[in-house]
Amino acid sequence: MGKVLMKGNEAIGEAAIRAGCLNYFAYPITPQSEVAEYLSRRMPEVGGVFLQGESEVAVSYMIFGAAAAGARVFTTSSSPGISLMSEGVSYITAAQCPAVFVNIMRGGPGLGGILPSQADYLQATKGIGHGGCRLLVMAPAGVQEAVEMVMMAFPLAEKYRNPVIILGDGLIGQMMEPVEFPDSLGSEPSNKDDWATTGMDTRKSTKRNLVRSLFLDPKQLNENNLVLKAKYERMKEEEIRYEKYNTDSDYKVLIVSYGTMSRVCKTAIDQLKEEGLEVGLIRPQTLFPFPEIAVRKTAEKDSCKAVISIEMSMGQMVEDVQMSIQGKLPVSWYGKCGGDIPTPEEVIDAVKGLNV
Amino acid sequence: MVEINLQGIVVIVGNYGSGKTEVSINLAVNKKRSGVEVQIADLDLVNPYFRTREARSQLSEIGINMALPPEEYLQADLPILSPVVAGLIKNPVELTIIDAGGDDAGATVLASLADAFKGKSFHMLQVVNPLRPFTQTVKGCLKMRSEIETAAKMTINGIIGNANLIDETSPEDIYSGYEFVKLLSQESGLDLKFITVSSQIFHEIDISRISCPVLKIERQLVPPWKKAVELK
Repeated sequence: MGKVLMKGNEAIGEAAIRAGCLNYFAYPITPQSEVAEYLSRRMPEVGGVFLQGESEVAVSYMIFGAAAAGARVFTTSSSPGISLMSEGVSYITAAQCPAVFVNIMRGGPGLGGILPSQADYLQATKGIGHGGCRLLVMAPAGVQEAVEMVMMAFPLAEKYRNPVIILGDGLIGQMMEPVEFPDSLGSEPSNKDDWATTGMDTRKSTKRNLVRSLFLDPKQLNENNLVLKAKYERMKEEEIRYEKYNTDSDYKVLIVSYGTMSRVCKTAIDQLKEEGLEVGLIRPQTLFPFPEIAVRKTAEKDSCKAVISIEMSMGQMVEDVQMSIQGKLPVSWYGKCGGDIPTPEEVIDAVKGLNV
Repeated sequence: MVEINLQGIVVIVGNYGSGKTEVSINLAVNKKRSGVEVQIADLDLVNPYFRTREARSQLSEIGINMALPPEEYLQADLPILSPVVAGLIKNPVELTIIDAGGDDAGATVLASLADAFKGKSFHMLQVVNPLRPFTQTVKGCLKMRSEIETAAKMTINGIIGNANLIDETSPEDIYSGYEFVKLLSQESGLDLKFITVSSQIFHEIDISRISCPVLKIERQLVPPWKKAVELK
């Protein structure tokens, strides 16, 4: 199949189908409602299920149920909807079931706005649910990458038996780009016998699978939490992904930026190069685990005098960048958090304003 | 090259992302340049992203009159229909372009303008990009046509071929897209009004292979890291 022109939201829906996910539960909210619209047409064509829950809370437990039964399952929502799902996310994580969540963010807090924003960085990376649960967080910068990340997300969720979340800004959901779909995956998690409650007969197993997040015995709870901790540590070893741009040059400034914001930064970097100012970019593709060592090493280049985190938020990634840099260079922030996307010219002014 | 022959009221419909707005803007610019008085109304009440209003400053600079909701509601996720639109339809200029919203949902608003349309003759053109989901087959396009007609309570009477993959469109996509809309025109009995070709690849196209009019697209709806083509 050749390339097709797809809106990010449509492509995310199609990617899930290609990843063998035939279970989609969701509740509509701008700017991701086209995923539900697309899948309401496509799921019946492929023998899948789209069920609109009565709320995002309900949806999160539909996801839990399907995941516990060993099915590939996913949902999409936007900021306030993800907040409502957060209880379910925590339960799913504690019970070690795989599932995929997509958050096409609104500007926040509160009801916020529907225009492009990256307001849920902290929520996704550090506070997605109670009890210290963490999700693998991936952030695409384009529609093709959104497709690839969705298709990677299912096997990764199964590898860790832990939910994965794709964090996209409104542009990822709304813009159209040509896409190509990788080969389809099978439709069942290959390791589902490890957790799925499908009945011992069907699994021809003597081991009882029990899906639960209640551990009355403090030793057992401690043990379960240490298992979760070990998974987060393993993610840091094995799943960090990032992209670098113009880092072969003797850059004086390093920009850290993710999602579509990084594409504006690349245009700004190209223009600054023409003006004689070299600027590098590192784009985290995974936000948790954060590419801490890569950011530090990239900032350690002798020519680099300052680091700036450029985001469509109030500077939520700044702390992760500071932690990576370990005080070796000043870290500042530039961005907008109301739905306006900073222009390449504004990024150029912010970089020049560092006076390096 | 054959001139695009359109005047009076032209309603542009089609599925989500078929390219209605880019086509509407470029049709307006094309006609304005040939000396026609042009008005354009953004009727997309469904989707607040990438609407005609994005290009408003460039359009007003070259003297194209636009009907938009009041400034404070421009970003609203709400269906706001300005009373100005009914006025435009009642008193059309040489070319009055109505850029409707996507799918049947977006076309629904046309039905609410039935009073304004009463007694008027108009073109209602379906934009088709066969490289988009759901309109890759003649059957898919005809299904979309009938859904839009039911919602709008109006009849589509022409087709615009808009085969493209934005920056990655090849001449082959243009030729096969042209063959596709010709076939669609035969099967549906609808007039093929014109096809589009991006200014990026226009010079690579053998126009003698295309017997209908061609509208050159100077892309206006671009992501923030790209520049819109300057209109002169």
